[in-house]
Amino acid sequence: MALITKLLMASAAIIIATSAQAANMPKKIGYVTNYATHEWYQNVIKGMKAHAKELGIEVEVQDANLDIAKQVSAAEDFIAKGVDVLILTPVNEEGVVPLLRRAKAAKIPVVLEGNPVKGMTTLVAICDYDTGYFAGVEAGKYAKQKLAGVAKVMNVGLPLLSATVLRSKGFMDGIRTEIPSATLVHDLDGGGNPDRALEVSAAALAKNADINIIYGINDSSALGGLQAWKAAGKSQDNLLTVGTGGEGLAFINAIEKEPSYRIEAAMFPEKEGFTTIDAAVKVFNGEPVPEHIVSPTAPIIGDSWKTYYSYDGTTRSIKWDAVNALKPPAKCMETSADLKK
Amino acid sequence: MTEILRTGASGRTSFASLTGSGQLVLGVLLVALCLGISAAAPQFYSEANIIAILRQCALVLIVASGMTMLIIAAEVDLSVGASLAFVGCVGMAVLNATDSLALGLVSALAFAGAVGLVNGIVVTLLRVNSLIGTIGTMMMLQGGVYLFTREAVQNHHQLASFTALGAGYWGPLPIPVIFAVAIFALCAVTLRFTTIGRYLYAVGANERAVRLSGIRSARLKLAAFVVTGLCVGVAGLILASLMNAGQPTAGRGFELTVIAAVILGGTSLTGGSGSLFGTLLGVLVLKVIDNGIIILGWNQDLQMVVPGIIIILASYFDLLRSRHHA
Repeated sequence: MALITKLLMASAAIIIATSAQAANMPKKIGYVTNYATHEWYQNVIKGMKAHAKELGIEVEVQDANLDIAKQVSAAEDFIAKGVDVLILTPVNEEGVVPLLRRAKAAKIPVVLEGNPVKGMTTLVAICDYDTGYFAGVEAGKYAKQKLAGVAKVMNVGLPLLSATVLRSKGFMDGIRTEIPSATLVHDLDGGGNPDRALEVSAAALAKNADINIIYGINDSSALGGLQAWKAAGKSQDNLLTVGTGGEGLAFINAIEKEPSYRIEAAMFPEKEGFTTIDAAVKVFNGEPVPEHIVSPTAPIIGDSWKTYYSYDGTTRSIKWDAVNALKPPAKCMETSADLKK
Repeated sequence: MTEILRTGASGRTSFASLTGSGQLVLGVLLVALCLGISAAAPQFYSEANIIAILRQCALVLIVASGMTMLIIAAEVDLSVGASLAFVGCVGMAVLNATDSLALGLVSALAFAGAVGLVNGIVVTLLRVNSLIGTIGTMMMLQGGVYLFTREAVQNHHQLASFTALGAGYWGPLPIPVIFAVAIFALCAVTLRFTTIGRYLYAVGANERAVRLSGIRSARLKLAAFVVTGLCVGVAGLILASLMNAGQPTAGRGFELTVIAAVILGGTSLTGGSGSLFGTLLGVLVLKVIDNGIIILGWNQDLQMVVPGIIIILASYFDLLRSRHHA
């Protein structure tokens, strides 16, 4: 009898908790991403959908495919449909401003992902400078231990975007905390693409191959630099390669198979998606949110990628407990505003 | 028939002096560029840099060889960049599944050849303008590659022979350069010394006359599309080897580099004239500029600006020369 009573009480508690939770949850969220074919956004969407499913929220995704007109049109469709929250990864800053006004008029709260826009309520994004900085610190420690304290860097960068400039700047500042004499031998524009990164790195290495660290602003850039190094017939014995992003399988493959690829500045796109859904729930409930909600990043050293991901040979799965345990900073060390100073 | 051939051949001969002098200018430009860059940065003529330039030239030259034949036949293929990326992904996936370099190569060639065939059918059978038709194929391939794979196809097979395809050497020469030389020579011989080559010039110069003489011009164009596709197959697999992965994002803008090299080399976009030697010079000039800008430490945005200026100037001087000779 006592057992039956306990079971009934427990069931009642679960029903009450579930209904209380459901009452505070948005039913439908519309997300207009800017470039769904990119691995980063695929994993952001994966994280969003996984967390939304846990909370019983439906997420509908539209891809702007780098076209602001398409983004505006998709967002207007969501507003017309009456989604509870709108999430946007802006294709460009100016184009999204009128959308924010229209959503506000329709009383639909908006969460931005990735890039800030004037007049926004809240933004979920990583800190690019910090990501590069902490990877740089780890690279400096590695160079002290394994590269005789020498750090000569080839940065396969992307000067077009402030986010990637911040990563490169953070990396050099971080490495100099460990090795003040660290030098930037090559500062390249790899276009963020693997083939372009390979081409410019090959030319730079032909000019001066006296480097021992390759830093890439994303995994494709780091791997393009590394492939150029290998194509030039050079050994990876006294080389360190550092990638950024960890958005796909490339970095896992590289860490497992390339002896020099020892550090990854991981940005956990799935977690960014997860955090964006949390932010959407908060704005839906009218809770106060900071202007910038930081999604955590962390340098992964060698096999420690297994702490955060499992890999079955074809797909990777995030280990939520480990990633959720990462504590993001309250604010970024440097932002794009600091680059203008 | 003989008349047509004579027209094609004489057309070629009369253009030969023009393209010949154009090639001389291009040759002088190339030498001047090399001397100028070497004077400012002696690393330019280091063995490592020459190999880096040759390797970069190889990929463009392989595809440009096929493209030259196609443009001489008065058609163009804008899908080569998108196909390059897709081929790498298909080839790598087959290599992973079979651990066989031969099967990887065959699948890459089959895929790229099929893309060329589709382009050819769209242009010759459906009579869609090749500029429009191959933009359509480009879009299908750019979207299709993401249906095939959402991310880069990694190298799980670790075949040494596959790595050698992009990064290996045969004697002092990088293997991609050997491939490029072989394909270039094959296309050059075909264009210059075979009936098919002469027909291609004739088709480009006056397709109607060629058709009236009983030659199946559509088949020739179809063959040129397939050859261009096959060249993309070889280049795509070499690129996948160099990058150690099949990258769906690779090859962006590659088609423009290839077409720019062909036009810079003196091949007319309207068809009927041009030569592979000119294309070779065009490839070298573009890649030396690309490399020189990095070696000199200039702003890399110039890598787009300078070739653009050179292509406009080369076309303009070619026009002036044509008027002068007319």
